Formats: sequence, structure tokens, C-alpha cells
Amino acid sequence: MGGPCEVLTEIVDEAAARKVVDVVAACAWRIEGKFSRYRTDNIVARINASAGAPVEVDEETANLFDFAALMHRLSDGLFDISSGVLRRAWTFDGGDRTPAPAEIDALLPLVGWSKVRWERPVITLCPGMQIDFGGIGKEYAVDQATQLAAQVSGAAVLVNFGGDLAVTCARDGGQPWRVGIESIDAGPRRPARLVDLAAGALATSGDTYRFVKVGGERMPHILDPRDGRPIRGAPRSVTVAASTCTHAGMLATLAMLRGEHAEEFLANEDVRHWVQRA
Amino acid sequence: MRKLFLLATACGALQGCANLGVQPWEREVLARDDMQLDVNALDTAFDDHIYFSKEGTSGGRGFGGGGCGCN
Amino acid sequence: MANKDPGIGAAVAAATCSLLGTATPGVSVAADAEPKWDIESAFLYYGESDGRVKDLSLSALATRDFGDERKLGLDLSVDSLTGASPSGAIANSSAQTFTSPSGRDTYSTPAGEIPLDNTFLDTRFALNGSWSQPFARLYTVNAGLGFSSEYDYQHIGANFGLTRDFNQRNTTLSAALAYAQDTIKPVGGLPLPLAQMTDAVDDEQSPGNRGDNSDSKNVLDVLLGVTQVIGRHTLLRVNLSYSDSSGYLTDPYKILSVVDPVTGDLIGRTPAPGASGPTGVYRFESRPDSRRKEALYAELRHDFSGKVLQLGYRYSTDDWDVDSHTLESRLRLPIGGSSYFEPHVRYYQQTAASFYRYSLANGALPEFASADARLSEMSAVTMGLKYGHVNAGGNEWNTRLEFYRQTAKAPNEVLIGNQPGNTQMPDFDAVILQFGYHFKL
Repeated sequence: MGGPCEVLTEIVDEAAARKVVDVVAACAWRIEGKFSRYRTDNIVARINASAGAPVEVDEETANLFDFAALMHRLSDGLFDISSGVLRRAWTFDGGDRTPAPAEIDALLPLVGWSKVRWERPVITLCPGMQIDFGGIGKEYAVDQATQLAAQVSGAAVLVNFGGDLAVTCARDGGQPWRVGIESIDAGPRRPARLVDLAAGALATSGDTYRFVKVGGERMPHILDPRDGRPIRGAPRSVTVAASTCTHAGMLATLAMLRGEHAEEFLANEDVRHWVQRA
Repeated sequence: MRKLFLLATACGALQGCANLGVQPWEREVLARDDMQLDVNALDTAFDDHIYFSKEGTSGGRGFGGGGCGCN
Repeated sequence: MANKDPGIGAAVAAATCSLLGTATPGVSVAADAEPKWDIESAFLYYGESDGRVKDLSLSALATRDFGDERKLGLDLSVDSLTGASPSGAIANSSAQTFTSPSGRDTYSTPAGEIPLDNTFLDTRFALNGSWSQPFARLYTVNAGLGFSSEYDYQHIGANFGLTRDFNQRNTTLSAALAYAQDTIKPVGGLPLPLAQMTDAVDDEQSPGNRGDNSDSKNVLDVLLGVTQVIGRHTLLRVNLSYSDSSGYLTDPYKILSVVDPVTGDLIGRTPAPGASGPTGVYRFESRPDSRRKEALYAELRHDFSGKVLQLGYRYSTDDWDVDSHTLESRLRLPIGGSSYFEPHVRYYQQTAASFYRYSLANGALPEFASADARLSEMSAVTMGLKYGHVNAGGNEWNTRLEFYRQTAKAPNEVLIGNQPGNTQMPDFDAVILQFGYHFKL
């Protein structure tokens, strides 16, 4: 999941608590195993190795493709799960290397959901194209895990996968969960922003862990799939509160993609949000 | 007094430069605690009180605090 | 708004429901949980050299944020003052005796020393409250009330201000007004202007050189300010202020030595038989009953790679002819992620008030005169260092140590007889030590 995962619960009985943790962990590993782009034996690997041949997918994967397709349309092409190949030109590891425009242009023909033939349950990519669920997989996993936790226990549970989190319900006595949004500035001089979460989820999109420096400016790893360049004027971090982690994560990502209009976009969406800028 | 007025007008003219300033997303440094004008509020209040009672001039920075029988 | 974009939130919510297989979108209940109270507290010690004034002070400044930019500020402080202060009389080649401010006791000063009045022992309480809130889109309004009390002095004041933002909040104009009424009720009653210090009397009698028991002073302050963002790393603040004080502005405890107009030596005096009292001719000071001041203040804050330079300058001029320049600078140097050092320097200089006298020539009296060194030609330097550390909970401990040196000079025009070259001004050094804790609740 790209970060530490934890389960917080108010269950006092150790056995019951362990049951919740096991169910959440199993869910996390299952989804990671199934949709991680780093594996060579899962459905994603098979699709990415298909070299233009059609691949039939199961129901869960089909649901994710439907969702991604709709998000592509709603964001006017900014959200695109086929933009992963651009990674080859950019190495998002904190370094300073920026690729030449020619390198990026060479990859652009391999990017674009509109080039993908998706007719449920069959997906056909153009040769050389790659898809990855990095933009929705973690939030989807949080929601699935939270649903399972709620089925297994009536107690208050908070599922947190690397900063994207959701709760089954409020804590004892209706008390909210106290969550901190990590500050973009290092060190305790800017402590985390505190949020009281009583229901729903929080998701954060940002550059705290992955960025590249272009001309002294930190650029988050959100790329514009239409031209391959990082979105300019993008905030350093966007956190959104919504009823599900997938919903929150999508709005956070879409806000980042809107660059300097992030706050406008979120204000219009009428959700609680926190934008940090550099 | 005229010297003061000229100085103030000069400062006022400076403020007229509307191309000074930053975009809302460029305020990260300005938002830091140590860049706020009132960052050492208590120190400033103590100092103002000491200098008010030991020197012939006081104030200029702002209001708050109060009089005392020491000057 | 008829043409408000409906947004994609509903579509995303619906899509998420299908993805997760839930019937309804569920709810989101999230709210800011920022700490409500921000409290700065500090303990300060101020100590002058040579047995002079010492002050112990305890202060707390609490700010409560109600969200939406509405803020309440509360400021409480307690001060305990002890020690001796120069009375304004000059040193003499033989010992001197003075009547104390109450008019009922005497005190003495050894030969060759500047007379200090050590009858001060005072505790002062001060309380200030302020409120600020937005008022229409780019406007903020603020108001405050202040009160302070010590055994011979009371202060009550109110202030009101307005700010307005321009240029995407890069420029802020502010205007503020403050009015204060102070009451002074000195020990022994108010001395008559330039009255001569008399022998000590016992409790039933009146010293004979006193007027009313108390009097008052009103102060009106007007402030106009501009705050301007100069760039991502720089902020400038410029204030223009005007202050009008009227009423009793004299210091009832300060005196002047009366000297021979030719030699400049103290005029000797013998107390009445059986009484104790002054061994010289001394007169209480008298200041005008009005003072108008104008000041220009500018402050620059500049960040360069996490270090912050603060530079401030103030020029002040008034109708007592006290003109002053103040130049001050602080440099905040972060150490690691949670500590800092902050060196501080300040330079101050002022010209003497038009009625400042080193001593009074025996004979015709001027309308106003004061030998208070605070109204003489004077300069002062402060140098200090502050250290702060933020702990894991985000709260800060800090401490600062400062050294202050004040040097005064009597302008030649006010010197009499053989005084030039022989003046002794009550210069002093002081130490400031402060411990503070800044925390949030």
C-alpha cells in the first residue's frame, strides 16, 4: 500500500480485536496482491503483458475499470489510469533529474484511456500501453477493509492505509476520532492539522513522499496525461473528507490535477477539505 | 512634522506598487509563525513596558498594554 | 447563483456506491479540531546596577480562536517593583538629606553619590482584553479594553480599529484609535509645581507644599498603518502615529537641586530647630499639561532559507522637543527542527526635552523644569540572546537574557557655573532575564 497500515479500534476483548485486524490485513494483502503493478503474476501484470491482445477480467476488476472510465470522463481526461508509462521518463525519488521533452513525447502515444478498448468484461490495450490502479487502489482497499471490519464487529474501527483512512462509526459515546493531517513542513514547528472524524473517510493526495525538483520547485507526482508534464501550480497536499475513502481520494486527486484552481474546485464540491501549498 | 509627512508619503507611494505581492499559493513562508509581526508578543510587551518607564519615547508599534505610573 | 456548476461530487458518490456495492453513499462527518486556546506565559526579572530598580513580573497572554477569524485575547500581568530610582537631585561634595515623598520621613545620600529615592515598593496589576472579527469580506474590526492598577496610579483605556485588505491580501491598511484615562494619587498628595521641599512633618500636619490629593491625565492615540507583502520572503509594516496627552503629566516624586547661579554649587539649608529635613534647597518638578507626539515606525521581516531577519526603525518627535531614533534588529536562527537562537540588538537615542534642567539656578523660576534623566539627552543600547525549544507536543519553552546600558548627558545649555565637566548623570546597566512557555490547549 506504499506506507504503513494500521487498524485502530476500541474493542477491549483481544480475540475480537484480533479478528478485526486479521480481516483488515487479509483484505489489504489480497487487494495489494491482485492489483499491484509490481507483481508479475496478477491480473494487472497479465493485462500489461498482453501486447495488444484482449483480456477478460473478473467482476471486481471490471468494476474498477468502469469506475476509472467514468472518472476519466468526469475529469475531462485529467485522471487516466494509463498514464503510468510516463514514469519511465520521470523518476520520482526526490532527485533532480528532469527528462528531455523528446523523452516525454516519445511516451505520449502510449498514454490515453481513449485509446483503450474497454467493453466489459474485456479490455484491449494498444501494444506498449500499461494500466495501473495506483490512483484508486489504496482508497478502494480502505473502503473494502472498513466494510469487512463493520461486518465482523459492531465496535468503532478506524482503518488507515498510509494516510488514507475510514471509520466504521464514531467512538464510544459518539466521540469523533481525532486524526492529524501531516504538515508539509518537516519538524514539530508546524504540527499536524487536527481533524475530528465521526463518520466517513479522509484521503490525502500529495508530494510528501514522492516529488521531483524542477528549477528549485518541488513538483508533486501528479502528471497531466495529456502532455506528460507535472501539473503546474498544484498544491503540495490536498486532504478531503467524504463518505468513502474512494470518493475522498478521487476528489483529492482531481483537486491536485486542477493545479492552481484546487481550492475553487473543492469549494464547489462542497466537501471539507484542507489544502497545503508550497 | 513636515519631514515626517514626506517620509510617510514616500512610504505610501511605495505601497502603490500593485505588482508587489504574491499569489495565494505562494504564501507558505509568510504563513510561518516566525514571520508574523506579533511572534514575540509577550517579549515585545515586556520590552515596551521597560522602555516606556526608562526612556522618553514610547509606542509607535501598536496598541495594547496600558499606562503605568512610571513615567 | 443560477449558473453554479453542480460539480461532479454526486456522480463520484454514485460511482463509488456501484464500485463498493453499497446502496447509499453514507455520511461524512469531519470538522477541524484545532486547539482553541493559545497561551504565552512568562516570568521576567529586570535588575539595574548599583542597588537601583528591580522588577519581577509574571505575565500571561491567552488567545482564543473561535474559528472564522474571530479571536479573543486576554492579557494578565503582575509586576513587583522594588529598589531605588534617581530623584533628579544632583550629587554633592557633602552628604545630603531629603524629605521622603510622603513628607513625613527623611532619607540621606552619601557625599559624591547621585541621590536615589528608595522608597518605592509597588505591585502593579494589569488586565487587557481584545476582540477581533471579520466585518464584510476584506474588513476586520477590533476593539480592546485595558485596566491597570498600582497603589498610586490607575489606568483605564479602550481602543478600536479597522483593517482592510487589498491586492489579494498583499496590502493591509489599518486605522486605530485609543483613549485612556489615568489617575494619579501620589503618596503625600500632589506637590505644587516647583514648590520647595520642606522639613518632614508628623502625621497630623500637612507638608504645606501640596495641592490636591489626586489628578488625572487623558491620552488620545491615533494610528494608521500599512502592511505590505514585498515577495514570498518579505513583509513590510509602516505605522504613522499621533498621540495627545493632557492633564497631569508631571512626575510627583521627582525634584531638582537649586544651585548658586554663579558657581553652580548646591544652596545649603538647615532644617528648622527640632525638625529633620532637607540639607539643601530642592524643588519639585513641573511639566507642561499637554504633550503631542508623532511617530513613524517601520518594520521589515525577511526570511532567507528558514532564518528570519527582523529590522525595525522608529522616529518620534514631540512638542516637548524630545526627538528620538530607535533602531532594532532580531535574527531568528533555527537549530535543527525544533530549536532556535535569536540574537537581538537595539540602539536608542533621544534629544533632551526643552524644559530639561540639570539643576535650577537660584532666583527666577522657569515655568517648567525637570531633572528626570529620562528627559535628558540620552542613548541606550540593548544586546540580548533568546533561545527556544519546541517539544514533541508542539509547545515551546524559551528563555532570554539581555543587557541594557543607558547613558545620559545634560546639554551644555542647561549647565550652570562650574558644572560643565563635573556633571554626574544617573547612567545605569540593567539585566533582563526571562523564562517563557508557549502552549496550546
